[in-house]
Amino acid sequence: MTLMTMIAKMSEGMGHTFEIFFLTLIFSQPLGMLVALMRMSKNRIVSGITRSVISVLRGTPLMLQLLAVTYGPYYLFGIGVARNKLIPVVIAFSINYAAYFAEIYRGGIESMPVGQYEAAEVLGYTKTQTFMRIILPQVVKRVLPSVTNEIVTLVKDTSMAYTVSYLEMFTIGKQIANSQTSFLPFVVAGVFYFVFNAVVDFVMGRIEKRLNYYR
Amino acid sequence: MKKLLEINHCRKQFGGMEVLTDLSLSVEESRVLSIIGPSGSGKTTLLRCATLLETMDGGDLIYDGVYAARDVDGKAVYASPPELGQIRNMFGLVFQNFNLFPHYSVLKNIMEAPMLVQKRNRDEVEAEARDLLEQMGLADRADAYPYQLSGGQQQRVSIARALAMKPKILLFDEPTSALDPELTGEILRVIRRLAEKKMTMVIVTHEMAFARDVSDWVVFMNGGVIVEQGDPREVIDHPTQERTIQFLRRMQEQ
Amino acid sequence: MKNKKLVAIICCAAVIALLAAAYFIFFNKPAKINGGKFTMGIDPEYPPFSYIGDDGEYTGFDVEICKAACEKLGLDFQIFAVNWDQKLVQMDSKECDCIWSGMTILPSMTEAGYVISKPYFDNTQVIVVKTDSTIAGPADLEGKVVAVQNGTSAFKMVSEGGDQEALGKTFASLTTPESYNTCFAELDGGAVDAVIVDQPVALDQIKKNANLKILDGDLGSEQYGIAFRSGDAELCAKIEEAVAELVKDGTYAKIASKDAYKDITNNLIFLNDAK
Repeated sequence: MTLMTMIAKMSEGMGHTFEIFFLTLIFSQPLGMLVALMRMSKNRIVSGITRSVISVLRGTPLMLQLLAVTYGPYYLFGIGVARNKLIPVVIAFSINYAAYFAEIYRGGIESMPVGQYEAAEVLGYTKTQTFMRIILPQVVKRVLPSVTNEIVTLVKDTSMAYTVSYLEMFTIGKQIANSQTSFLPFVVAGVFYFVFNAVVDFVMGRIEKRLNYYR
Repeated sequence: MKKLLEINHCRKQFGGMEVLTDLSLSVEESRVLSIIGPSGSGKTTLLRCATLLETMDGGDLIYDGVYAARDVDGKAVYASPPELGQIRNMFGLVFQNFNLFPHYSVLKNIMEAPMLVQKRNRDEVEAEARDLLEQMGLADRADAYPYQLSGGQQQRVSIARALAMKPKILLFDEPTSALDPELTGEILRVIRRLAEKKMTMVIVTHEMAFARDVSDWVVFMNGGVIVEQGDPREVIDHPTQERTIQFLRRMQEQ
Repeated sequence: MKNKKLVAIICCAAVIALLAAAYFIFFNKPAKINGGKFTMGIDPEYPPFSYIGDDGEYTGFDVEICKAACEKLGLDFQIFAVNWDQKLVQMDSKECDCIWSGMTILPSMTEAGYVISKPYFDNTQVIVVKTDSTIAGPADLEGKVVAVQNGTSAFKMVSEGGDQEALGKTFASLTTPESYNTCFAELDGGAVDAVIVDQPVALDQIKKNANLKILDGDLGSEQYGIAFRSGDAELCAKIEEAVAELVKDGTYAKIASKDAYKDITNNLIFLNDAK
């Protein structure tokens, strides 16, 4: 197999890698914020349940969660397995990453000084206004480095989709490597992830810089 | 004269410890009240109760005749959230640590609440905000961010932020305590100018000389109760109670 | 306050409903089975039975035979690349209709109710070492570092409960890379002393790498077959029939004679029987 055929074949999977990455990012961030708020709820039942769910999601391998989301419904309820694997893959990834983002956000929110809440309260801001205008923008800045870390991990974690035979780039690379007795696909994959993460680093760096207008 | 703030029989406990015991005081329009006393005497708690940051266990809290809390059988019953919202519009609070919003420019710090909470017109609010900054001597720092300002400048912005809401009464929680000694003067000058303009104010402070000069009435607190109160020159220069004498002597030694 | 709680609850409910809706819309599509369609489940990393060819498409001995059988039966031939560790789960959930990919027949499969075809391939495990190695037979593996591909027959053979468990215990250590490719890279690089692997794979390797040789004598054998879901005995019989016809009309031998498959022709049961 020529290098060109190899790269062409693998780039078919890159589209899927991007899909997993962007969709997971889009869904897991707001879901993570929601989970963080539930985790900090004054209602003991809500916060207790959320806490256990987070600990299960963080305490079990993503691979297992992928299998559970993809094949669990079939074994439990006889619901057919999705033809388009992107759906269960993105659901599993989003839920898993939401758990991690939730803990990051919670840390960020809890690190905010009480004075910010009190100043807003005295000025007559509602709870929602306080959160959306005063707290959240500052939390975003505080948690950005940790969020960047998770995003970099996500880029590499997309390869886990092979567990359920979703043909993203790394799955195809692995197949070619073993079919053609060649390590070249792994080199191609390595370069791909490196470049992808270089772009992520660049973008996150720009965002961080833009938020650096205050301290 | 009309009473703008009235606190009757205020009680407050923290984990079984009585912090405020049957405490009453009132402030009349255009008057300046100073509250002095050692740390742990309950004066900050009193101010936090008055600004609705803490809830009283018992007692009345009345702003300009409107009840924020009413004592019913020894328990403080608070008004509904919308009513409390109205009451928050009547007072302003200046914090010891300024608590400016770091991600907003000076101008936005001042302008957002009047626009968002009082739904006032942007142009009108901006004109007022710039006018307030002018009065604070910060006209050229409107676009700066809080971290770019000195502590004294930040505190002046926070006073402007409180004034932009057009409160009937302004409360200060040790406004100079977080500042370097050489920066306290600029804040005290601002407060003095407000007093000259007949702004009604309650000031918790450690600045004895300032309290004596600027206030119409001074209250000395200790152990959650008012030990002595009266004309500032009387209380500070000729205290009658043993605790007041001890406290003032210690303050002088420092 | 109450309002906010309500909003929060509604938000949660909305998110859950959305996820559930997405789930049902995409999951409830009936899996297509045998509506004129036949989906072959393969491990695309197992040459020469099933792999990605030079043109980037799936190919291999099993793939070609299956394709020809489907043509005979008038079935629409499809391929699904399974994750080998999950192959039975994936077949159960109807992602494919059979597993046909150099699969070793295990008693546990029949016990679990799967329908297994007649064996078509007799596999043999061999030891591969470097040409200059002093290892001459299984006994010399004592105290040596040995590699087997994780999850393969060789792995099971030398692990606890396997046919060669006793031999496995004499190794200094056993490394289990995820692919045999890695096994040979480790052997070539001197990290391990020997690799135990399926004979056809070994033949393929020594052809590409002059540094390696296969030791004489084998380590037990195993057979390959096709697995179907329980209840698909009829389908299994049909496929077996079609393959028998392919053997009869010479198509089977013609495919087996291709250069790419010459290492496995010796193990093909149907061809050996015909001789």
